[in-house]
Amino acid sequence: MNTFDTLLDILARDYCVARDTVTPESTLETLGLDSLSVLELMFKIEDRFKVKITEDTPTDLVTISDVVRYIDGLLAKTPTVRVVKSLETPTET
Amino acid sequence: MTLRRVAVTGLGVVAPLGNSVGELWTNLVTGRSGVHRLPAPLALGLRSPIGATASFDGARYFEAPRLRMLDRVSQLALVAARQAIEDSRLDFSMEERERCGVFVGSGMGGAETTEEGYHTLYAENSDRIKPYSVLSAMTNAPAAWIGIDFQLLGPMLTYSTACSSSAVALGEASRRIQHGDADVMLAGGAEAPLVVGVLRAWDAMRTIATEDPHDPSASCRPFAATRTGLVLGEGAAFAVLEEWNHALARGASIHAEFAGYGLTSDVSHITRPTIEGQANAMRSAILAANLQPEAIDYINAHGTATLQNDAVETAAIKEVFGERAYAIPVSSTKSMHGHLLGAAGALEFVIAVTSLTRGAAPPTAHLNAPDPDCDLDYVADRGRVLPLRVAMSNSFAFGGTNAVLVVKVTAF
Repeated sequence: MNTFDTLLDILARDYCVARDTVTPESTLETLGLDSLSVLELMFKIEDRFKVKITEDTPTDLVTISDVVRYIDGLLAKTPTVRVVKSLETPTET
Repeated sequence: MTLRRVAVTGLGVVAPLGNSVGELWTNLVTGRSGVHRLPAPLALGLRSPIGATASFDGARYFEAPRLRMLDRVSQLALVAARQAIEDSRLDFSMEERERCGVFVGSGMGGAETTEEGYHTLYAENSDRIKPYSVLSAMTNAPAAWIGIDFQLLGPMLTYSTACSSSAVALGEASRRIQHGDADVMLAGGAEAPLVVGVLRAWDAMRTIATEDPHDPSASCRPFAATRTGLVLGEGAAFAVLEEWNHALARGASIHAEFAGYGLTSDVSHITRPTIEGQANAMRSAILAANLQPEAIDYINAHGTATLQNDAVETAAIKEVFGERAYAIPVSSTKSMHGHLLGAAGALEFVIAVTSLTRGAAPPTAHLNAPDPDCDLDYVADRGRVLPLRVAMSNSFAFGGTNAVLVVKVTAF
């Protein structure tokens, strides 16, 4: 599963976003995520992608493709073998 | 200055014993108790592991993204408030929204969120505090969410005076209407204190009833010689208060008239009630209602089942009503729904209004052993059918804010 699809899983499950409405150009705001929801989304990204976000959340995450690019950047910096959790695994913090 | 009349046109509850006024009422008049043994994680370490939970799952009412922003206290408040509005058949799109407001009483606010935050910090040693924690835990969150959902642009306030919080919210709301500051006020209270930290804190105060070894549901025994304390409960209750002519003009069904509100303070000790403070609050409410004490047909007592409260409240009732005190049915429904703290006043206000519309006084349950200091007619065990015209609801509090509400039938 690629980063976009996995991110879509999170958005569909935890933010009630309809999958078929999301394109890489969709903005987080139009999908109903305010600034606090985006902060919360970072926790879910850490859990789901097994990455560690050590710096402040960038403020230039506007579209879904921004977030995908950001996650891919984090994955590239993560040295260990990564196992993406299955959907059944609770990712709630 | 002539004060405007205030109509009660809508009621809503989410509480132990019922998520509608009808369900709650049926359970109350038959003397059923919603008190029970708490499940394991909550009960752990408690001297007396009992409580009164509302049968309520927020996920049935709110989608996941919204749910994460709402502490249980706000979930309960929103659902009870919506119920009251539906009952009133008000259509806010037809209203001047600047003339509509919301007052809420809550003692502990978003206790579950606060607890989760501490758990994250101290138990999980994690720094992942939820970004919504402050907005979810703040005591004024329920009022804010109700205001947002129904777009009420008039006054929005939260009162926190411990166990009298929502009686104060209702009383203050009635005054806004009486004095012409608003035409419609949604007023009530919400409380969700059944989390480990809050339960343990109350347990440490030694004010919680000892669990009855034979029947945990009979643990709360107001006015009985065997009373040992209160039982914490959760829930929310709301009423739609409306200027009388405003209600008539839209053809609203009026449940009762909000007749009077009395407010005094004890200022003796942070927990100890005074006979004078309680008696003066009752007198002041009766005076505000333009009635004589003889007019009061039923009293929904504060009746917490603590040794102190029930004896002092009984003495205060005698002080106000004299010999007639013995002829007035007085009941503490906390024996069945528990003590909803900041939501207690509103829940018991809803019960007082319903006692008028249904023509019956609900009972005090588990009153098996009379206390010589508590010798009034407490309507033991089962409700009593009575043609009630005026009802009084008492709410007293730690901190000493005494609030008394008087309601009367529309044709009085």
